Amino acid sequence: MARPPRIWISNETPAPGEIVRVRAQMVHVMESGLRLDASGQTVPQDILTGFTASLGDSLLLEWTPEMAISQNPYIEFTFAARHSGRLRMVWTDRRGVVAQADRDVTVG
Amino acid sequence: MTSFGSDMRRRDLLAGAAALGGLAAAGLGPAAAQAQSTTAMPQIDSAEADRLAAEFAAGAEVLSQGLALDLPALGDNPAAVPVRVHVTEPITDASWCSEIIVIADLNPGPLACRFRFTAATGSADVTVRLRLIRSMPVRAYARMEDGRVLMARRDITVAPGGCGL
Repeated sequence: MARPPRIWISNETPAPGEIVRVRAQMVHVMESGLRLDASGQTVPQDILTGFTASLGDSLLLEWTPEMAISQNPYIEFTFAARHSGRLRMVWTDRRGVVAQADRDVTVG
Repeated sequence: MTSFGSDMRRRDLLAGAAALGGLAAAGLGPAAAQAQSTTAMPQIDSAEADRLAAEFAAGAEVLSQGLALDLPALGDNPAAVPVRVHVTEPITDASWCSEIIVIADLNPGPLACRFRFTAATGSADVTVRLRLIRSMPVRAYARMEDGRVLMARRDITVAPGGCGL
């Protein structure tokens, strides 16, 4: 977790039911496992394997990236703001959690 | 309308170009070695993509409506092609999207990514950036909670060899 993810959220105080848009980008090499190093050895695969976004206790989105996702993965999604809570985003790779970001969303 | 000055510039340019050509020839060895630094090969056809699609649909009829797939016709950076997938019909508590997959037909691993939504999401609209190994069709499939499977498909042209896979 060298650098924290960059987060943009369209509205942190949305009206009930309003569609909120979130953009997030984090730092990850996304090594495909197909490249060879200078000595001809395969560079082991190292990719992001999971992302979850939840608002309070309710899960909003699970994302399963594969090899085709670009370096420093970018994700943009929307959700309907039905209740206040902490919007929590968690990125994982095979070593475990690599990044986490929180934003408080207050519906009013 | 050739003046003496511009003619001199032209000669300088020609001489410079010749020198550059020589440098390029000398540098060919390392460049050729670098081109083999990846074992990534594109799929020869869409067979694997079709198999993934059939697995996702699981026998359901696939409808070519209700799902939008937005991507540039020309991917100027094949290492990061923005792809947006969204369900165009209203998302309600009775009819919501539970899962979306994105397939890049000819990539070494055609399944690009998978999304799962819940009833709490209240929306189905996602954007990611893909790396594509060559020009190819890209498709997205969405599973609605009422059992329908929606599909969208677009062709994209990318510059070859810039993939970074």
